[in-house]
Amino acid sequence: MVGMTGRVTGTVGPGLVGEVIVRIRGGAEHFLAHPVHGTGRIPVGTVVTVVEYLPPRTVYVMAAYDN
Amino acid sequence: MAIGVVAGIVLAAIVALIGLFKLMWRVAEPNEALVISGSTHKTEGLGQGMGFRIVTGRGTLVLPGVQAVRKLSLDLNETQLSVDCVTHQGIPLRVKGVVIFKVGDDLVSIANAARRFLDQQKMMPERVHIVFAGHLRSIVGGLTVEDMIRDREKLTGQTRMACGTEMEKLGLIVDSLQIHEIEDPTGYIKNLAMPHAAAVQRDARIAQAEANRLATEAEQAAFARMAEATRDSEILQAGYQAERDKAAATARQAGPLSEAAARQEVVVQETRVAELEAHRREQQLQADVRKPADAAAYETRTRAEAERDARISAAQAKARETELAAAAEATRVTTAATADAQAVEARGIASAKATRATGEAEAAATQARGLAEAESAKARGLAEAEAIKARAAALAENQEAVVAQQLAENWPAIVEAGAGAFGNVEHMVLLNGAEGMSEMFAKALTMGGTGLGVARQLLASMGQAPAPGTPSPTTPPVNGRIPIHEE
Repeated sequence: MVGMTGRVTGTVGPGLVGEVIVRIRGGAEHFLAHPVHGTGRIPVGTVVTVVEYLPPRTVYVMAAYDN
Repeated sequence: MAIGVVAGIVLAAIVALIGLFKLMWRVAEPNEALVISGSTHKTEGLGQGMGFRIVTGRGTLVLPGVQAVRKLSLDLNETQLSVDCVTHQGIPLRVKGVVIFKVGDDLVSIANAARRFLDQQKMMPERVHIVFAGHLRSIVGGLTVEDMIRDREKLTGQTRMACGTEMEKLGLIVDSLQIHEIEDPTGYIKNLAMPHAAAVQRDARIAQAEANRLATEAEQAAFARMAEATRDSEILQAGYQAERDKAAATARQAGPLSEAAARQEVVVQETRVAELEAHRREQQLQADVRKPADAAAYETRTRAEAERDARISAAQAKARETELAAAAEATRVTTAATADAQAVEARGIASAKATRATGEAEAAATQARGLAEAESAKARGLAEAEAIKARAAALAENQEAVVAQQLAENWPAIVEAGAGAFGNVEHMVLLNGAEGMSEMFAKALTMGGTGLGVARQLLASMGQAPAPGTPSPTTPPVNGRIPIHEE
């Protein structure tokens, strides 16, 4: 799970519960997402990398590409 | 025989093995998870203490009687939301929506869900509804109506924040949360939209009016151009028609015109011929008529002059002759008149003498005849006077007899006058019959007798003392005779 890339479907940011969709188990599932870094929002559509996975459905993500 | 039995036993054993396998082998459908409990199991990805095995998408061997197999559906579920909320501004709303959720596909979610819902899978929507209704109330309470309408991301974000962790606990994932409608009993949303709607309506009307104006302008311009084109076309058509008519008229007249021209030539030539003819004829007349006529006229004139001179001479001679004859006649007439006058004078004198003699003779005769007549009249008058005198004397001697005679003479007139009294009576009623009638007549005639009495009385009074100034009105003839009596 950690290291997978996903796509933001609900804005991720501090104080928000975002949503990412990740290809996993032969399908696509969405997870509740929190940002790894405390600052900055990750808008919808951004490709993110899963940095941490808290079962069952919570991930910590960061933008896959710096810009 | 033994082989057959052995074969049968083997076959039965195979069949029994297959049946046993069928009993022990369980396959999970794609949309379900098998939850196997009853023995320690090792399950990948899960920590210790779970106590049951989860199988998805494949078969597994289960010991009947030792292990229990339960199925957990991974299908979608839905729950209808109908929640009465109050917004941040205190406006009551009824939010209607739908939540579509399922059991998560990872083993952790399945384990959570299995522990909570394995015997209550039918009641899952109800539980979810309760959870969502509560959360939706709190979410809507933190939002304004404008936020809910305009900022759906905020609504979904808050929903995720509120429900995500709870659903994690239940092992569920929300595939979709949709708000169908927001009922607004106070009309807030409608009123909110009204200014914009009015503005939009105004803009729409303005745009419509502008568009109408432009369309009308374009239409009118088009009509004007159409009319212009029609006018031009009609003018051109009229011009062409005129040209056509002109050409047609020219064509129609070409025949008659050429004919007329030809006839004109003919007429000109004929006129020329006629002129020449007339000239020739004039010349001929000059030669044939005028010259002889002139000659004749000259002859006639000469003759007439000669005749006139002769007549003048004759008249002069005749006048002289007449003059002389008149002088002679005058002399003759004078002489005749003188003779006639003398004859008439002589004859007159003779006639006068004769007339005087005749008149004198007639006068003498008339005088003699008058004298004779006068003598006879004198004699007759004297005789009448004598008669009157004799009667007067008789009257004086015997008045009664005279009066009686006068009455007898005039009796018929007296009776007639008496009867005249009855002439004017239309109806007379006599009460004593024929006797009365005779009595009536006797009375009327007695009046005449009374007149007789009166006359007699008058005569008597005149005889005794005659009064000359009192004439009797009843007997004027007596009165008239009195002077004669006195003479």
